[in-house]
Amino acid sequence: MELFYTDSEQVRHIIKGLNLTKTLLVSSIIIGEPNTGKKTLASYLFPDAPSVSGEDQDAVETLMEESDELIITDFEKLKNMERLDFDNKRIIATANYIGNQHTIDSLFAFIYHLPSLKERPEDTQFLKQKFLKRACDDLMIDEEIDIDEIPVNLSHNSRTLKRSVYQYLTTRYMGKETIQQAVYHYLMENLGGNNGYKEHLNLYEVPLIKAGLAKFKSQLQLSQVLGINRNTLRKKIHEHDID
Amino acid sequence: MNTTSIDFQPFVDWDNSPFILFDPTGKILYLNNSAEILFGYVSKKELYDLALTYAPQNFGYKTTTVTLTYDTFNFYAITVGYENEEQLSIRFYHAPRIKNATPIEREKFATTDINLLLEANIALFQTKNSNTLQLLTDPDLPSLKIDQNRFSKLLRKVLDAYRASDSIRIVLKLLVGEHVIIDGKRTPIAQLSIEANGRYSDADGEIRTLAEHCHINCSLGERSIKLDIPLIQ
Repeated sequence: MELFYTDSEQVRHIIKGLNLTKTLLVSSIIIGEPNTGKKTLASYLFPDAPSVSGEDQDAVETLMEESDELIITDFEKLKNMERLDFDNKRIIATANYIGNQHTIDSLFAFIYHLPSLKERPEDTQFLKQKFLKRACDDLMIDEEIDIDEIPVNLSHNSRTLKRSVYQYLTTRYMGKETIQQAVYHYLMENLGGNNGYKEHLNLYEVPLIKAGLAKFKSQLQLSQVLGINRNTLRKKIHEHDID
Repeated sequence: MNTTSIDFQPFVDWDNSPFILFDPTGKILYLNNSAEILFGYVSKKELYDLALTYAPQNFGYKTTTVTLTYDTFNFYAITVGYENEEQLSIRFYHAPRIKNATPIEREKFATTDINLLLEANIALFQTKNSNTLQLLTDPDLPSLKIDQNRFSKLLRKVLDAYRASDSIRIVLKLLVGEHVIIDGKRTPIAQLSIEANGRYSDADGEIRTLAEHCHINCSLGERSIKLDIPLIQ
């Protein structure tokens, strides 16, 4: 059974509410952005309940006849919600959004809104740690990683958070040859036209200047390290719009 | 017909409609039993002001249709009158109570711990409103048979009316000595009352409909909502 971890006060109230109604014949729906943990939460709290996707209206109706307890995922995808009869049943539904507010309001007794990861910084940190550990195992990295160094993208919640961690680790531990390979694949796909050299020079120059400025702090010192004129460096910084 | 020898006061005393007699300064000269109960929910000044507002211009009596609600009291009209400068009378007419025609759907009923449902609804409410609330319940309330889904919807709507309120106080208690007749049986009543500094009234219509379907009597005040829940066994 998958565990559900949270440090968010709001999510704890949702868990408490769902736990209290575990034995009651009521209908509940958890609404929230994709990849926020709705399905995990439903199956964690109701491990014995059969689960069906709202994409298949017939399957939902058949299972509702067979079972008094049911998890319906992707509820917003149901073609005909009004046809469902939740009387004397324990229904736990999940949805990415509310399609028809009136229908949801009349069907469900409990309407929970699961906050996105942006609104749950405590949970984001926990998930980041979890993904980092898994990624280190997968990529066979033994070194200690400073978790705060990893930039996170929460635009699609846990999905983009996981991708951020894997992306950071793969790029962080790339050797010269792998970098060259990556650039090779990129160029194979994108090289063309009649100004290819200039167009793709930023692949090399942008990370070079960014890393140099971060490492040596001043443009003067960096120009010395790179062995180029200070004015040339300034021109390139301006050209690539580097802050 | 000579009526001069008849003492009408006991008839007024026991009239179900509240009757009050004020002097010109607003002091009460007389009130019947029903008015005495009414004063438990409204101030003397408010009713005196009401009498002054609706008093006829000349000596005599004037009946005005006006909807008045004081807690569980609902009136649809008042008669205000005076025959001299010393006494001003006001009489209230109860709005008729509509008998609940909704049949009891026992097949949808399940034995329910009302405290459990209330607690679950409070947990849901606390995901929207983080203000502290005071909860006083009677843990010994007997279980009741109710349509759990519909009753939960009602509780959600009721609590939602307080989504932006603070100083919320929720009390759930047994109304000792009060009963309602359901299916010919005397059924005890539990009262859930919620009060705060203010509330939304946008869902009052839905609350009334849901309450009616659950055979619950509801009184919707400016700051409070009271549900009289029959403890059907």
